[in-house]
Amino acid sequence: MKKIIGLFIMLGLVFVGCGKQAPTPGVTDTEIIIGNIQDLSGPMKELGAVLPSGSNVYFRYINEAGGVHGRKIKMLVEDHQYNPQKAVVAAKKLIEKDQVFCLYHVIGTSPCEALRPILAETGTPLIAPATQSGTMSDMTRPAGNLIFHTDTGYDKQMVILVDYILKDNANAKIGIIYQDDDYGENVLKGASEAEASQGISIQKEAYQRGATDFAGQVGNMIKGGATHVIIAGVVKEPIIVMKTAAAMGYSPKFFGTSPTMDHRVSLAAGPAGEGFISANFANLWNSDASSAVKYRELCAQYEVPKAYMGMYHFYGYITAKVLVEGLKRAGKNLTRERLINGLETLNKWDSGAFPPITYNSKDHAGTESVILVQVKDGVQTVITDWID
Amino acid sequence: MISLFTDISQEVISGIALGSIYALIALGFTLIYKATEVVNFAQGELMMVGAFVNFFFVTQFISSAGESSLWIFFVALIGSIIFAVAFGWILDFVINRPLKDEPIFSVIMATISLSIILRAIVAMIAGPMSLLPVSPFGENVIKIGGIVISILDIFIIGSAIILVSLFYYFFNKTRWGIAMQATSEDPIAAQLMGIPVNRVHALVWIFSAIVATISGILLAPRMSLLDTSMGFLGLKAFPAAVLGGFGSIGGAIVGGIILGVIETVSMGTLSFHFEWIKEINDIIVWIVLIAVLMVKPDGLFGVEKVKKV
Repeated sequence: MKKIIGLFIMLGLVFVGCGKQAPTPGVTDTEIIIGNIQDLSGPMKELGAVLPSGSNVYFRYINEAGGVHGRKIKMLVEDHQYNPQKAVVAAKKLIEKDQVFCLYHVIGTSPCEALRPILAETGTPLIAPATQSGTMSDMTRPAGNLIFHTDTGYDKQMVILVDYILKDNANAKIGIIYQDDDYGENVLKGASEAEASQGISIQKEAYQRGATDFAGQVGNMIKGGATHVIIAGVVKEPIIVMKTAAAMGYSPKFFGTSPTMDHRVSLAAGPAGEGFISANFANLWNSDASSAVKYRELCAQYEVPKAYMGMYHFYGYITAKVLVEGLKRAGKNLTRERLINGLETLNKWDSGAFPPITYNSKDHAGTESVILVQVKDGVQTVITDWID
Repeated sequence: MISLFTDISQEVISGIALGSIYALIALGFTLIYKATEVVNFAQGELMMVGAFVNFFFVTQFISSAGESSLWIFFVALIGSIIFAVAFGWILDFVINRPLKDEPIFSVIMATISLSIILRAIVAMIAGPMSLLPVSPFGENVIKIGGIVISILDIFIIGSAIILVSLFYYFFNKTRWGIAMQATSEDPIAAQLMGIPVNRVHALVWIFSAIVATISGILLAPRMSLLDTSMGFLGLKAFPAAVLGGFGSIGGAIVGGIILGVIETVSMGTLSFHFEWIKEINDIIVWIVLIAVLMVKPDGLFGVEKVKKV
């Protein structure tokens, strides 16, 4: 009797083994499960609530229209508190326990860098990491072939900003105030590229993350005679820097990298922030760009709280659009490999918000250009087309 | 040469203002430590809660009065202080009293948990978006020679000096203050001598919450945005308290100001003239701290304590 049972078990195993290919994790006939790791309770928790909400606006719209090839998208969100170790733990949980199909929009340069080994080991793609660090699209790093970056890198942004300033004023003396971490490192890389190509020297002043006083840095800009100051900070830093400068009677032209493109900068900086120009990697949420119009329409329809709507919420929305486009192009028989192949067919694809996106097997950077946005009479106004 | 003098004076003034914030937080640490020997790691969060409560009062009053006036800020300040009294009393009741006879370590762990819980609760109530603080000081500055100082910073420095002096007087000259010192030295003996130890403990938690609330109200406009990460500043003020000598009220302000000035001058003039300073800016505070502790292990104003076992 035992032998017969053993035989059945063996036969059963053989059938299971031969019957079908191993199914793709997170994909059923009706559903695609994706994983997102945000900062829900750490220093950037503000974005942690807003970004997935923006993505879900687009996913809901797609799901209500029948999903992608009949499959509805379901997004699981984990918390990493902006801590790279916790990001790895969360990714392990999502990939091994929840069996997600891919990771999407994970926030932060350091957390995303920390995920490279586990992505490579499990072959899990990471679509649209929520950071503008140029290192994300470095194909020579581990899992480089699995990561698709949507945003123009900080290094590239620096090169564009310096170029713009020098075209405006060939005698400009440029200074930068940067955050002393991974973010700043990528900014400095761009700054030294710009120095080399333009044959100029840029004054560089650092600050620690979480700093609340910039009298020293602003004082140094005055001593160095900078006429144009680029602030590579987030939201608080440009506000405090510009207010401090105004108090000291110092009025250079102020510029900022994409994280400073937040409407609260002009709100909080008041008159000191007038004329501030920031680089942005996507069109404004309240602009006439086709995706922005649709976004506002859907937000009204789904009754999204007004406080959520804005650039970051829109950022969640448009990256979701890139992922969905990849899923569409991957076809009915969805696998991770087909998603990668699908995304690599994007050629100057117009998302209606990002600059045209191009991916291929050698380049996962997506975009290389920005638009500049200036605060005029307290209102953010786009002043250029896409520049690169 | 004159410009170098102006530059450094400017940085020192900014550093004193920043240091006064550290001093106020360090004062909060010191008050609780002085009477209970507990290090309250939620001090930064008490400050953050105070700032949010004040923000709530200010916006409520402005919206019901229809306009902003100095009176509104004054009434909101009084309201926030009343809240702080209740809050400090509740914390003593919830955190300190049940753990009174447990090892100090348990109470310290409880304060760490408290800091996390407070951040989470405030985030739940106030929502995830940071707020734009409203302040009566605006952007007004005064200029002395080439040096600029904002009215807000003058208030910050003034509040630090006044509060530190008040508590210095209280601890050294009043019956209650001396009772508090006795409680910290030996709670059992103090109880036997007729000091109401429970009431003394409740009082220091209340004082500490008041100091935290005032510093939160003053810091919010200086930070431009109000969010729960303000609580993390408590950890920056911790070395100030150690530098001055943990448990010394005068030490809190001296330690705070020294750290504030080091921070602005090293980021400013020193970094400008010496490239290598930039590399060590984030550790310079800790180098100074270790150097001081090597010479004076109890901090600048600390009193060497000998405990008989």
